[in-house]
Amino acid sequence: MSFRRKLLLLFALTVAVSVAAVAWLVSAMTRRAFQLTNDQRTAALVTQFQRQFAQQGDEIARRVELIAGSEPISRMAAAVERSPGDLGGYFDMTRSLAEGYRLDFLEFVDSKGTIISSAQWPAKFGYPESAFANFSAWANQPAFLKHEELQDSAALGLFAVRTARVGEHPLYVIGGRRLDKSFLSALDLPADIRALLYQNRGDHFSPEWVIDPTANSTIVRLPEKLAPLIDAVRQENREMSVVVHWTGNKADDELFHAFPLRGADKDRAVLAILLVANSRRGWVELERRIRDSAMLVGGGGILLAVILGSWAAARVTRPVEQLAMAAQDVAGGNWNARVEVSGHDEVAQLADSFNRMTAELLTQKERLVQAERVAAWRELARRLAHELKNPLFPLQLTVENLLRARQSGPQQFEEIFNESSTTLLAEISNLKTIVSRFSEFSKMPQPQMESVQINDLVRGVAQLFQAQFEAPGRPAIQCKLELANGIEPIAADPQLLHRALSNLVLNAMDAMPQGGALTLRTLRRYDKVAIEIADTGSGLTREECERIFTPYYTSKQHGTGLGLAIVQSVVSDHGGTISVSSEPGRGTTFVIELLMGKEKLQTIAAKDSPAKVSASGGLG
Amino acid sequence: MRRFVWLWLAISSLVGAQCALSETRPQYGGTLHVSLHAAPGSLDPASATDSFELRNLTSLLFETMVETDDAGRLRPGLSSSWQSGSNQRRWQFRLRRGIKFHDGTLLTAEGAAAALRAANPAWRVLSEADQVIIELDAPNATFPAELALRRHAIVKRNSDGSLAGTGPFHISDWQPGKKLSLAAEESYWRGRPFVDAIEIELGKNTHDQQLAFELGRAQLIDVPAEQVHRDAMAGYHAISSQPIELLALVFTREAQSPEEKALREALALSIERSSIRNVLLQGTGQPTASILPNWMNGYGFVFPTDANLSAARHAREQVRATPAWTISYDAGDGLSRLIAERVTLNARDAELNLQPTSNSSADVRLARIPLTSDARSALVEVARAADLPMPKIASDSADDLYTAESAMLSSRRLIPLFHLPVNYACAATVKACQVSSSGAWNLQNVWLGPPKP
Repeated sequence: MSFRRKLLLLFALTVAVSVAAVAWLVSAMTRRAFQLTNDQRTAALVTQFQRQFAQQGDEIARRVELIAGSEPISRMAAAVERSPGDLGGYFDMTRSLAEGYRLDFLEFVDSKGTIISSAQWPAKFGYPESAFANFSAWANQPAFLKHEELQDSAALGLFAVRTARVGEHPLYVIGGRRLDKSFLSALDLPADIRALLYQNRGDHFSPEWVIDPTANSTIVRLPEKLAPLIDAVRQENREMSVVVHWTGNKADDELFHAFPLRGADKDRAVLAILLVANSRRGWVELERRIRDSAMLVGGGGILLAVILGSWAAARVTRPVEQLAMAAQDVAGGNWNARVEVSGHDEVAQLADSFNRMTAELLTQKERLVQAERVAAWRELARRLAHELKNPLFPLQLTVENLLRARQSGPQQFEEIFNESSTTLLAEISNLKTIVSRFSEFSKMPQPQMESVQINDLVRGVAQLFQAQFEAPGRPAIQCKLELANGIEPIAADPQLLHRALSNLVLNAMDAMPQGGALTLRTLRRYDKVAIEIADTGSGLTREECERIFTPYYTSKQHGTGLGLAIVQSVVSDHGGTISVSSEPGRGTTFVIELLMGKEKLQTIAAKDSPAKVSASGGLG
Repeated sequence: MRRFVWLWLAISSLVGAQCALSETRPQYGGTLHVSLHAAPGSLDPASATDSFELRNLTSLLFETMVETDDAGRLRPGLSSSWQSGSNQRRWQFRLRRGIKFHDGTLLTAEGAAAALRAANPAWRVLSEADQVIIELDAPNATFPAELALRRHAIVKRNSDGSLAGTGPFHISDWQPGKKLSLAAEESYWRGRPFVDAIEIELGKNTHDQQLAFELGRAQLIDVPAEQVHRDAMAGYHAISSQPIELLALVFTREAQSPEEKALREALALSIERSSIRNVLLQGTGQPTASILPNWMNGYGFVFPTDANLSAARHAREQVRATPAWTISYDAGDGLSRLIAERVTLNARDAELNLQPTSNSSADVRLARIPLTSDARSALVEVARAADLPMPKIASDSADDLYTAESAMLSSRRLIPLFHLPVNYACAATVKACQVSSSGAWNLQNVWLGPPKP
């Protein structure tokens, strides 16, 4: 993965993580805020309910007080005092009074606890009112919660008891109002909050006891889903909260707070459970909006990050890429590669340093080349002087002998002349040979590239020298071929390469006058082919290794110093490299590395016919 | 001066006597305004619904061949006389002559026979000259009493669906369930009624009726039993019949087992009739455990009416499982609802499971059954209303009636509760306003006078 892509990925990841973190943070804070708001609203609603509960109770107590003090009740109380057994005429008196005073429940009970008249259950006259053990204890008390048995059902109500007394026997007036849908509907509820009431009757939850003023809602709410909460509150007799999932849509969920409402009797039994439902629609929809916004912002941010990151990465990586390309150029031999320097940042400093470095390298290279060239010329001059001095010295002696021979006799002169002529011709021949060698070195031809199978070429060189390896009169040399399989053809000049390999083999043979082992090895190294020529000869010193490819340098007594120079020249003309490793006494290994050169092969294939390529592939 | 005083006294006496005479002498004319609680949808005597209001309304329009007086005795109606063959299966009724229907057509024997055939297709009704001959499948010594029943009134059914009778009034306007306007029949064979017309408002509740009565917009209203005492306290002129309406619990089916019969016995024993009478009925009506009222049969007291809760519980305990009964009542009848609820309470005291409902398909219904002044006909009507087997009554003797009544009650299909009178309140301007012991009014005989000074 490129540096630019890494930067892009880093930018996008940073933006995505940042947006996700912000969205989570906002969502968490929103949830927290909603919970706080819901708690506050619930607390306010409960307070309001309690206040209205108390107000309703005071109002009921006031109305019952008014009824107890009204004239008809006084007359009835007087009649009760006068003739307690003849009260049939009052049995339906409560109905009109209850309507007039807007009470749902109204009963007149005599001092013995017998119902004289009941608005909610008219037929119950003459029966004892069993809900109160001691009426006088309840009289003048604040309103209280009570279950009222009716003809075919039961109802929850707020009740108050007051006394109407004319004589010794009091008459009790019990009035109340039903805690029903109208009571709950009268609550001033905020939006998204509902108040329900469960009448705690029986041993188990029953949907029929749920008073829900919003039962006609479009959302289907099965009261049975409240059963676990109701049962838990009934068992533990304390406030509880739970989220109720009405439908598959989370927006329809409601957080229910359940508050037990207790009666005024001694055991303070739970008579009803107030259920305050907070809709989670607002929060769920806000959360969805936050999530959608986060996804939108995140997506947009990532896109923007990619765009800006691309731009920024391009700005950041362009000099680096230029540096990398320049470094590759330098590595490829282009010492003139330069990087454009823009700005004053670290990358610009790096580019400037690179430019200075390459400039310095180029300068040093030129100096080195100059030095090497001077050294080569010196070496050449030394070699020339050496090579020329050898024949010149005999020539000088021979000429001096001839001059001295003129002073001698003719016969002696004739003999000396003949000998000197022979010598002169021989030395002149030597000089010609020296001149022709140099001339030959200077006329090294340019390689003619063909598709060459290296293994075949190496195998051909080995066969060529096989007879000399086993020549009589000299110690045998064992030649080993270690050729790698699957080496593809390369573009090369088979004649020049054959000549170079032959020179290396000849050098190896010269290095093993006592015989030994010569190993010819081919290797595949990435996009290169390596040819190793290893002998077990006398080896070279480190200094010799360093100078061995210098023209006219030789470690041999009768060498010209041009063999390895020619080899290096051939390898260099093929775009390859040659190296030597040696250790005195253990032999020397020359390694030639040549590029596979697929492009060159394709060019050759395009130029030449397949037959020619095939023919030139084998040298043997 | 003394002569002048005597002269003044004499003139005053003459004027006072004249005034007194004019008050007691019937006067023709005027419109009688009536307000009733009932709201009948049909005035056809053959309709299944039976009530005293419907009986009284139809009695103003239609007449029967035979009538019963207050003592339950038969008297001639549209037929002047009747006789039967020796086997009491063939009965001959001689039709009065010159009686016309309200549409002016003459009542003939064939017309009467056609009306009777329509009223009871089981009869074979013939006509011969001025006689109507009815042949029965079985001997029936009391057959004329059946002809006195309202559903056997002589009705002429016209092709347009209208009905014509021979009664003292004919219909001038009829809005079913709301209003009935009657006009006096000038050529009524018993003589023209005193009032020219009767305007009857139907379907009025007690409050509206009392308001109309006190404002003078209604001169005659029916009074529910529980209101009689209060209306009397308020100074209303109330007229009441003998307790002639049976209020009873009627099971819709026969008891399926002795256990169920025991439960019904427990229910009958649990009911506190006295409390219901004292409180809900405000002292009106007679608690009863018999079908016929005591004034009619003379032995009603034999059937105990007091509640016996211990006996009820004992009877209840004989049965292992208690069924859940439902008791229905007329939703428009507040008294019935209260009584049904009270009966439910009493039943719960006996550990019986009874639930009131206004649904007609209940196990028990609280029924108001109008009786007739004729004991035998009354038993037949009760059996018909309660879907009981027809009683076999050999004669009008108390023994035979008791036997028949005991047989009807033994199945516990019927639990009598009260006999209630039929009550009306008449304004002071309505003269000769009476109601018979059988609950029938006599509006053809009332006349409108000036209010008392």
